[in-house]
Amino acid sequence: MATTDALREGAFPSRPRAPQSGPWARHLELLWELVRRDVRARYRGSVLGIGWTLLNPLVFMLVYALVFGSLLKVQGPSGKPYLVFLLSGLLAWTFFQQALVMAASSIIANAGVVRKVAFPWMLLTVSTVTAALVNFLISLVLLVPFLIASHSPVGLPLLALPGLIVVTFGLCLGLGLMLAAGSVYFRDLQYIINLATMVWFYLTPVIWPLSRYQGFFGHGKLGVLAHVIVYANPMTWVVVSFQDIFVFNRWPQHWHGLIYTTLLAAALIWFGVLVFRRLRRRFAEEI
Amino acid sequence: MPEAPIVVEELSKRFRIYHQRSETLKQALVDRRRSRYEEFWAVRDAQFEVPEGETFGIIGANGSGKSTLLKCIAGILVPDRGRVSVRGRLASLLEVGAGFHPDYSGRENIFLNGAILGLPRRYINSVLDEIIGFAELEQFIDNPVRNYSSGMYTRLGFSIAIHMDPDVLLIDEVLAVGDEAFQRRCMDHIDSMRQEGRTLVFVSHAAETVRNLCDRCLWLEHGRERMLGPTGEVVDGYLEDVNLREMAALSSSGHAATGPGWMGVRITSVTVTGGAGHEGLTSTGESLRVKIGYEAPSGLRRARFRVSFHPAEGPELASVQTDDREMDERLLPSRGEVALEIPELPFLDGVYGTKVEIEDIASGRAYVTLDRPQSFRVHGPGRREQGVALVGHQWVLPALDPSAVSA
Repeated sequence: MATTDALREGAFPSRPRAPQSGPWARHLELLWELVRRDVRARYRGSVLGIGWTLLNPLVFMLVYALVFGSLLKVQGPSGKPYLVFLLSGLLAWTFFQQALVMAASSIIANAGVVRKVAFPWMLLTVSTVTAALVNFLISLVLLVPFLIASHSPVGLPLLALPGLIVVTFGLCLGLGLMLAAGSVYFRDLQYIINLATMVWFYLTPVIWPLSRYQGFFGHGKLGVLAHVIVYANPMTWVVVSFQDIFVFNRWPQHWHGLIYTTLLAAALIWFGVLVFRRLRRRFAEEI
Repeated sequence: MPEAPIVVEELSKRFRIYHQRSETLKQALVDRRRSRYEEFWAVRDAQFEVPEGETFGIIGANGSGKSTLLKCIAGILVPDRGRVSVRGRLASLLEVGAGFHPDYSGRENIFLNGAILGLPRRYINSVLDEIIGFAELEQFIDNPVRNYSSGMYTRLGFSIAIHMDPDVLLIDEVLAVGDEAFQRRCMDHIDSMRQEGRTLVFVSHAAETVRNLCDRCLWLEHGRERMLGPTGEVVDGYLEDVNLREMAALSSSGHAATGPGWMGVRITSVTVTGGAGHEGLTSTGESLRVKIGYEAPSGLRRARFRVSFHPAEGPELASVQTDDREMDERLLPSRGEVALEIPELPFLDGVYGTKVEIEDIASGRAYVTLDRPQSFRVHGPGRREQGVALVGHQWVLPALDPSAVSA
C-alpha cells in the first residue's frame, strides 16, 4: 500500500484531494446508488428475480379476470378486450400501491444508516418511489402480448404516457414522504397504508370502467359520497388515462381530472416535503 | 480568516424519555393525555471551536453527553438550541461501523457510503483496493455485511471513513473494537491524518488514548462542560475525578466488618493507612499498612490471614498471606488485631480495592471473608510509568557523540 505509506510520511499535500461533487450532482449520484440498491435488493436471493415484477400483476390480473370477468360477468368498455382494460389499470395501480407501501417503511428500514450518517434522508424515500417506478416500467412489458393477442393498436397517444407517469410519480412521492416521516413516529402507519390501499383499490376504476360507477353504490347518501370519493380520487384519473391510451388508443379524455390530479400531485409534494422537513429533526432519536 | 472547521455555539440538546411510549397510532389517539414524556438535557450550552488541523477530544463518563454532542456535530441530531457548523467534507465513525445496509455486500456498501459522502464513483473506484486492503476483507468483500463479525464491520467502517479523504473526521469509541493489530494501524493512520492537517474529533472514555491523540480536550459532565483546555490538564482533572469516584464507590460498596462466620469468627474492622498516616491514601514506593481487627470466641489457632489487592475493575493483582509454619504454633487471642505492612508499595497511579480472608490452615476452610472493605488511592510517580506496577528500571543510551551534538 504505497499510497498509505506516503500518507504516513505526512506527504499529504502531494496527494491529490478527492474531488467533491456539487450539491446537485452529489444528490443525483446518491439517488442513483440508492435506486440501484432498492431495485436489486428487492430481488436479491430470489430465484425468479425480476420475474416477480411481471408475475405479481399477471397473477392479480388473472384472478380478477376470473372472479370479476368470468364469475361476476363484469364488462369492460363495450367492444374492448377486458384483459387489456384490466391490466392497463392494474399496472398503474400496482405502481401507486407498491410505491406507497415501500415509501412508508423507507426511513424505518434504513434505521441503521439514519442513526449514523447525516445526508438528505429524503433521498431514501425518493429512491424507494423511484425503484417502484422502475418496477412499473418493467411491468409495462406485460401489456405487449395482450395488446398483440387482442389486435389492439397503440399509437401516438403513447406520447402522453411520460407526462402521465410523472404525475403519478408525483402523487406517490408526495404521499410517500408524509408516510415515510410519519411512520418513524407512528409505526402503525405502515400497516394502515396496506389496508387503506386495499379499500382505495375498489374506489378506483380498475375493475369496472368509470362509467359503471354512476349509481354504482346506490342513490342514497352513501352512494353519493362514494361517487364523490371516486371522482376526488386522483388515481381515478391516472387509471382512466392509462385505459384511454392502451384500451382505446386515444389521448386521455378527462382533462379536468388530469389537471386536478397534476395540481394535487404538486400540492402533495410541497406538503410532503414540508412535513418531512419538520419531522426529520428527531428521526435519529425516534427511529 | 475563515471560520474554523467546527464551530459549536451554545449548543443544547434535549431528549424525551417516554414514560409510556405511544409508538402506535391507537395509543397516540386513545391515550393522548397519558403519552407524557419527560425531557432531559443531554447536552447543555456546549461552546467551542476546533481550528483546522487540531485533534480535539471529548471525554466524560458514560451518559455524559459525549456521543450526543458528536452526533450533533455530525448533523444526525438537530440541536434544540444553539448552532453547530462544520466546514468541509465530514466523515464519521459513530459507535460500531458506519451506516451499512446488511443485505448489501461490503463492496456495495463502500460505494453507497462514498455516495453518501458525496464522492464521485470513479474516485471510489480508484481507492477501492486500498479500502478493502486496509480493512483486510479481501476474501469477504462480496459477502453481505450481515454475515460480518463485529470486528470486520468496524474495520470496514473505519477503512471507508479514512479513505473518503475527509476534512473533518469524527470518531466515537470505535477503536475499542477490533484486534490489537488493527487498532495500532488505526492509530498510525489517525496520526498521519493529524500530520496532514485534518481536523479530528475523538470521543472516548479511555483517558490515555485521548491523552496520546488530542491537542485539546473537552470534559463533559452531565451534559455540561466541566473543563476545556489543553489535553494534559483536562485528562489529569478527569482522571482525578474518576479516581475519587471509584474510591467512594469501592468504599461504600463494601463493609468494614462482617457478621460471625464459621466458628463465630468475624472481622470487626479493616483500615488501610498510607505512609503519611492518611487513611486510604498513599503514593507509589511509600508504605501501606492494612490493619485487620477480628473476634474469635474460642481464640484463633492455626489460622491463615490473607490480604489481596485488585483494581476497581479487573482481576486480582497481588495477594499475600501469613506464614503457615509460624501461625501453626500460635494461638491468637479471642479478640485482637493483625496488621500487614508493605514497606514499598509498587502499585502505580490508581484506585485499588482490598480483600481480607481468614481461613483454617489444615482444611483451607474460610472462617470469614471480607471483600472490598476499604479501597485506597495511590498517587503515581509520573507519566513515564504506565500499567499497575512499578518496575525498577534503567535506560542505557548510546554514548555521547560530540559531532552529533554540534550538528
